[in-house]
Amino acid sequence: MQIKGNFWSTFKKRYSIYLVLLALSIVCSFANENFFTANNLTNISRQLAVTTILAFGETMLIIAGMLDLSAGSVLALSGVFGVSAYKATGSIMIAVLVAILTGVICNIINAGMISTFKAPPFIATLAMLTMARGVALLYTKGQNILKLDKLTILGQGSIGIIPIPIIFLVVVGIFTWYILNHTKLGRSLYAVGGNKEAAVASGINVPKVLYTVFIINGVLVGLAGILFMSRVNAGLPNGAVNYEFTALTAAIIGGTSFSGGIGTAGGTLAGAFIVGFLDNIMNLTGVDSYMQQIVRGAIIALAVIYDIYTKNRKTKAMLGKQDDADKTKVVKAS
Amino acid sequence: MSKKLISVLISSLLLVSLAGCGPKNTSSDKGNNQEGGAKTYKVAYIARAQADSFAAWLANGVKEEAKKYPNMKVDIFDGQANDDTENSLIENAITNKYDLVIVQPNNGEAQRPYVEKVVKAGMFAITTNARISGIEGASSVDAKPYEQAGVNARAALTQIPQNAKVVVLNGPSGNFHAEERRKSWQAEFFAKRPDVKIVGEQIANWNKDEAMKYMEDWAQSNDKIDAVISMNDNMAAGALEAVKDNAKFSNMFVYGVDGTAEALMLIKEGKMTSTCMQNAYELSELLLSSSNKLLTGAEKQINTDIGNPLITKENVNQYIDILKKAGAIK
Repeated sequence: MQIKGNFWSTFKKRYSIYLVLLALSIVCSFANENFFTANNLTNISRQLAVTTILAFGETMLIIAGMLDLSAGSVLALSGVFGVSAYKATGSIMIAVLVAILTGVICNIINAGMISTFKAPPFIATLAMLTMARGVALLYTKGQNILKLDKLTILGQGSIGIIPIPIIFLVVVGIFTWYILNHTKLGRSLYAVGGNKEAAVASGINVPKVLYTVFIINGVLVGLAGILFMSRVNAGLPNGAVNYEFTALTAAIIGGTSFSGGIGTAGGTLAGAFIVGFLDNIMNLTGVDSYMQQIVRGAIIALAVIYDIYTKNRKTKAMLGKQDDADKTKVVKAS
Repeated sequence: MSKKLISVLISSLLLVSLAGCGPKNTSSDKGNNQEGGAKTYKVAYIARAQADSFAAWLANGVKEEAKKYPNMKVDIFDGQANDDTENSLIENAITNKYDLVIVQPNNGEAQRPYVEKVVKAGMFAITTNARISGIEGASSVDAKPYEQAGVNARAALTQIPQNAKVVVLNGPSGNFHAEERRKSWQAEFFAKRPDVKIVGEQIANWNKDEAMKYMEDWAQSNDKIDAVISMNDNMAAGALEAVKDNAKFSNMFVYGVDGTAEALMLIKEGKMTSTCMQNAYELSELLLSSSNKLLTGAEKQINTDIGNPLITKENVNQYIDILKKAGAIK
């Protein structure tokens, strides 16, 4: 009986997000006949690629107790720089490299403000949000860069029947999963986010971990930047506004805890698809814009309440066990 | 000693950077008087948001046009799409005793009392894109958003087929231009064509990427979409981008407003049906010439509009030439 209870509890903890995703997809299939078609599922995946790549970066940061509010702005800056590099050289490779380099530089500055100058991540990345958007607008004078020609292959092309953005999404997903589960850096991220003092005491070089995770985030934001511009076939300095919040929503719904130390790549992917499925079904069934905003907000609220609820239950259970242990000690002593 | 030196260096750096943060002067005049002794007027141009591509185009136009008026020193400020920021900038302009304040409102009603304050302070005020009407003593230079959509809607009456299925892309809710354009489509088209069915309508906030996403979803749930009715060109271009490789949607009618470089190229290629030119250069020229007339006493109040020309494949080349001359199309 006890074994059965433990199994169910572990199963629920590990896979509940996937069960929610499965249930949602079944409901959506009944709600609209066009939902569960190969075309529509490919369409959703392609739409989600950019924000999910950002969400993987946010997941690693949140696990380490960090956050990046500048992701949308840095994406726009990386994208317009990448697009400009393409216009100047005609090379897709150089465009990608310039975009990634821009993302990395911005994130090294973020890491510097947080790790070296001890600025809170919220404030430091908020500052970068404003600066990066400002640079993008200044550089383009607020105007879109048009005609990306062959560069659109990254965001609109396919290899066989699989759209290229989905290939990027899968590769980044596997990369994130590998980092979190099979590397020393992954273990360090959980340790730093779970308990920074304990991580320091156990010999983890916290600044090095923070710089590394921000650099990885920079690579992902830069990559997302060039994919985004390529998808919309323009360099949009005012594009991707609030994308950081979409990415954060995916991570939170996917079970990443804002307190740090908890989160998985699979959970974030599922979180992103939950948001994507909901957006898609609301559009397919013609739900109006205002109602869509309410639904999105309600889902974030539910995810956070669930996170706090499960954490409180866990704490109570631990305290209960501690009380029982103390009582046993007292009984034994008497 | 070294600490003192560092303090001095940091203070100097701060001073230099603060000086660099001031508004950009578009005239070389530093004082209130030119060399000949003639008065130099101080003009504040408060833009709605430089992150908005049309507002940025207009601000750039104003900056360029100001170079033609050596008797004016124009400072440009960014309202950052925020009522509070924009209102503070208007108050600052009053405090700094500008001779004339041009306001491109973020939200007309929110800026109305502040523009009234400008007039009360004895300064000239011009509202633009969109005008705040009914302020005594204030002038206005604008386009007519109702007409901008109206010229498209009236053309669409005979273009869009019977029993057509259409999708509608709206600008941000509460935005004057977004609402006037949607109102115009309702009165000039939908009210007269009850056979036309709207199969999707969303707010895409003027953005290409948001419009693209909505159109991708609508293309999944509809076998046929006959027309895309968009309140600006950016969103129309996004909708076209979403279905550009889908033969089912290759014969759609697509309407926009603004006359952006991208829209003109799409019209020329036959992919977009029409747009209405909201010419930021024409608007800037009119803004600066009106400012000059007010400041030199030639007129006391001006209320004027730029034209609302419909651009189709037949006349697109003349507008492409305008944008080429301005450097917006290379």
